[in-house]
Amino acid sequence: MISDTPLARAFWQDGRCRECPVIDMHGHLGDFYGIWFPRGAVEAMVQTMDQAGVRLLCLCPHASLFMPDVGNAALVEAVRQYPDGLRGYLAMNPNYPEQMARDLARYAECADALVGLKVLPDYHRQALDDAAYAPAWEFADARGLLVLAHTWGGSVHNGEAQVRAVAGRYPRVKLLMGHSLHGAWDAAIAIAKEFPNVYLELTAVLDDRGVVEQFVAAGLSERILFGTDNPWFHPHHGIGTLLSADITDEDRHNILHRNAEKLLAGVGVYLT
Amino acid sequence: MAALAPLRFFDCNTFIGTPTHRLPGGAVSAEGLARALDRAGIARALVWHIAQLDGHPLRGNELLDREIAPFRERLVPCWSLLPAQTGELGDLDEWFARATAAGVKAMRAWPRQCLFLLRRIVVGDVLERMIDRRLPLIYSVSRGGGWDELYDLLADFPGLTVIISDVGCWGPDRFFRPPIERYTRTYLEISDYFVPGGIEAFVGRYGADRLLFGTGFPAQHHGGMMLMLAHAEITHEAKQAIAAGNCARLLAEVRT
Repeated sequence: MISDTPLARAFWQDGRCRECPVIDMHGHLGDFYGIWFPRGAVEAMVQTMDQAGVRLLCLCPHASLFMPDVGNAALVEAVRQYPDGLRGYLAMNPNYPEQMARDLARYAECADALVGLKVLPDYHRQALDDAAYAPAWEFADARGLLVLAHTWGGSVHNGEAQVRAVAGRYPRVKLLMGHSLHGAWDAAIAIAKEFPNVYLELTAVLDDRGVVEQFVAAGLSERILFGTDNPWFHPHHGIGTLLSADITDEDRHNILHRNAEKLLAGVGVYLT
Repeated sequence: MAALAPLRFFDCNTFIGTPTHRLPGGAVSAEGLARALDRAGIARALVWHIAQLDGHPLRGNELLDREIAPFRERLVPCWSLLPAQTGELGDLDEWFARATAAGVKAMRAWPRQCLFLLRRIVVGDVLERMIDRRLPLIYSVSRGGGWDELYDLLADFPGLTVIISDVGCWGPDRFFRPPIERYTRTYLEISDYFVPGGIEAFVGRYGADRLLFGTGFPAQHHGGMMLMLAHAEITHEAKQAIAAGNCARLLAEVRT
């Protein structure tokens, strides 16, 4: 049964837990060149969420990130189709500053669908702290928005140095380190401890046994966020991993929903 | 919601021993593995030793046999092979007889790490003996070799039982589906296969008999794939086949 705690028993028996509604802070949507998704359409993703008791998924579609001809229209359309279960991060592609400016100017028009911005420096080949991103950071800092940034250990675009630079420069931004500087776990812990506006996000982290335990042991239980890259990874895999991890059910509640609830309340999203 | 029917698990992808490079979650001994299996509720495991990869295959085999000896009821040994030309295996028939005596039910190979090719002129005499014995080869894509090498291997040895393992989590369907369709004795170990709807789609197309439960422990936790499989939208019979039945069946087919 994975382990013997109340949360483990509940998830094992039912696949979900009423007392532990899951908030997934890192999702995508739709087709992508490098993978075949059995459940990549928004309806199928919601089906996956229901299976695991995921109450809310914050996402940014692949098309918004990789197809400027489609852009953020795909995001707003999907979220408004499932307003109870989805919110979005507006994709920022610094290779098209005019499109970034246009999308930011229209943020208020679709604020009902949004919690902040998404940046993907390794893929857009611009450093996280490059001036090209400055309009996005300034916009988010002025409004206290969430920014989900792809981060990876050793990267010259979104590695330790770049995260540290923007975390200090934009203290009102709630900076979600997507993948928690994957592989550079000590650096991720150090940055999260140094900057109170930085959060550790767990997509692709949970398939490395022992890492979330290190984060919790460092006193960061209240700064860790659950994420799956849905439709890449099934939330049951991440939840099951957390149930196996050598942490407490209180830590699991923090990670699976409490920390996200506090962050989302800060941008006007309240879950009933 | 209906109560979840009990599932029996047989983990076909787990290792013991201390890696050259430290794991974030730490290494496990055979005793530690047995305790972890108890905690997770996993009945049996097919086990290899990390020294087979990090040190030397044959030294690792010896360490494996010694370590798991007290736990042979639930830990099944998986040895690693080498080509015969260098003489390290000695007489091949004698080497396979020792494997049988040790209770070995599967082999692994590390062609990239050990600098050889899984081609007929290199390992034909070894792999033909495995085909004769119906001894499975566990092929780790992320640790052992790439997809190109796997495709070449299967083309050369279509009758070999191959368990494709550690396929990576970033979208492996386009890689593994062609060999699954072409070679009937090819199977997929699912420790890295956690794409939503993946198990359901696979079972719908190929049936439940070609998937094997594995966890990658101690590099990965047990619970991720356990929870995902337990709540996959397939029949209980299909879940049970994947969780343990298919692995047990393949190992029972091994001729001694």
